[in-house]
Amino acid sequence: MEEHKLSHISRRSFLKISAGTALLTAVSLPKTSLARTGEKLSTLIDLSLCDGCVDREMPACVSACKTIHNDKVPQVIENIPEPWPRKTIEDWSKKKDVFNRLTPYNFIYIHKAVINVKGQHTALYIPRRCMHCDNPACATICPFSANHKNKNGAVVIDQDLCFGGAKCKDVCPWEIPQRQSGVGIYLHVLPGLMGNGVMYKCDLCNDRLSQGKLPGCIEECPRQAMLIGPRKDIEARAEERARQMNGYIYGKKENGGTSTLYVSPVSFELIGKTMTKQPGQPDMQPDVKRRMADTDPLGKAVLAAPALGLAAAGTAGALKWFSRRKELTNRVKDNG
Amino acid sequence: MAEKILAEKNLVVRHSAIELIEHWAIAISGLILLLTGIFELPVGKRYYIITLPGLGWSADYITSLYLHYAAALVFTAAGIFHLVYHGVLGEKGMIPQKGDVVKSIAVMKSFIGIGKEPPMHKYLPEQRLAYVGMAFIILMLVLSGLVKTYKNIYAPDMSYTVLLWATWIHNSFFVLFFLAFLAHMAAIALRPNWPMVRGIFTGRVRLDYARHRHTLWLADIEKIVAVPAVTVPATASSATEAELMPEPQTLTEEESLSVVKEVPVETNDEAANQKITSDRSE
Repeated sequence: MEEHKLSHISRRSFLKISAGTALLTAVSLPKTSLARTGEKLSTLIDLSLCDGCVDREMPACVSACKTIHNDKVPQVIENIPEPWPRKTIEDWSKKKDVFNRLTPYNFIYIHKAVINVKGQHTALYIPRRCMHCDNPACATICPFSANHKNKNGAVVIDQDLCFGGAKCKDVCPWEIPQRQSGVGIYLHVLPGLMGNGVMYKCDLCNDRLSQGKLPGCIEECPRQAMLIGPRKDIEARAEERARQMNGYIYGKKENGGTSTLYVSPVSFELIGKTMTKQPGQPDMQPDVKRRMADTDPLGKAVLAAPALGLAAAGTAGALKWFSRRKELTNRVKDNG
Repeated sequence: MAEKILAEKNLVVRHSAIELIEHWAIAISGLILLLTGIFELPVGKRYYIITLPGLGWSADYITSLYLHYAAALVFTAAGIFHLVYHGVLGEKGMIPQKGDVVKSIAVMKSFIGIGKEPPMHKYLPEQRLAYVGMAFIILMLVLSGLVKTYKNIYAPDMSYTVLLWATWIHNSFFVLFFLAFLAHMAAIALRPNWPMVRGIFTGRVRLDYARHRHTLWLADIEKIVAVPAVTVPATASSATEAELMPEPQTLTEEESLSVVKEVPVETNDEAANQKITSDRSE
């Protein structure tokens, strides 16, 4: 209760810091859908507006997400096969209600960050979910292409193709995808030796987007702290809000750029310090690097390899041809 | 083509330096691709491969990707080089010929003591068949790999249908490549094939072995040497079994050496010379 109070006081402080701009922009912004299938979309999460729904048992965005997605996870088999030789089983089917971290049944959670701003302790509430990166290693490096980035920007795991090897989680700088063992295609192949379930994460409610609906979290947010729209519009809006509140943006450069832009009156360096990366609870380090970017130059060389081979063959073939011709000419001369 | 008989050393030059470089570039890069391809699956941690000395990186997919790309660069360039270079020069020694399936069955039967091997060209009929199989596998791996590489760099949101095709072609042909590699090793392990192994390291095989087993190949070389070039018929390289079958193995060492020259006989006739060159490259 005391914390609750603190957070409200803190909220007022923030509004002062940002000269009331957050409230004004919230009023002036439509919540309506800008989502059109196929168009590149982005989302905006305004931390000056999110209050973590502290007056509710469960934040509205989390609750909406759970309602939409929980039934999508198939029934977990009773005796989950023990993987060999490492015997890791991740079963969340009996802990579906957990909502303070990411799980296969919870794609969004709220991190509360208590930060000392100008001598005042204040609370920020940060919804955490998949960032839907512009070039997501989780998708590009999936050995079965079970995870794919859609044209509209949503990064979606096909649960019918996923083997649950958790490679996507390992290459995600925030380790977002979460595994549920005992479901999925691996059960029908070599369950003891290959695969270990299905990976789950936010899919930006891609199905709803294709029906012209908003993602559940955005639709249900009582404070309009989240927006979705054409990428350029959202980027412009994020810049504008950040300027108005003299604030900061997260997600524009991180991991090579993402489709999720956080706007905050407090620096993400400070916010990041309130987070320790734990299972299901990502941190928020600014400027986190896209590791795969380092491999791009070599990848480009691979794309040029056919031309390289062709050029080498042309050169070697021409040399051979000339040497044969020279040899013949010499013989002709020798034979008079 | 550097193919020639070195009688005093009891050797025949079977592969040129370029061919050796091609083979080993594809073989070594192919093995690296195989290994790093396996490490692109989540096996490093699960199977405790990371605990093996020197393989701590096996669960780091980005490191594996670096190596995979580096090897793919060599593999792709060497594969294209091979196709274009030998294609342009008209070297067709590894292209399957009519009757290769039947002949390769006869060769395999001879391994278990049933019947005799037919006389053979430079390459065994099953080598020619395997070559086409391996070339097709490599082609599919390269094409699908290029699509996947393009996706990684430029188009993570490329058509899902195209991506799924590329992915599953890559995965399926990866398995076939592994099986083909095992078959290749199994072929080497067969005793009758042992003398050929030195050829892929040094470019040379024993003359007595070649004379005994690759009768048609030796006949081609010797025919070129022995017959005046201007009279070489257009079908010089396609000496038939009937022509050459009369006990090729009965040549004595002395007889063998008597026809061997290091200096190839050439002619003023350019067309005939080109034919000779082409034949030798087989």
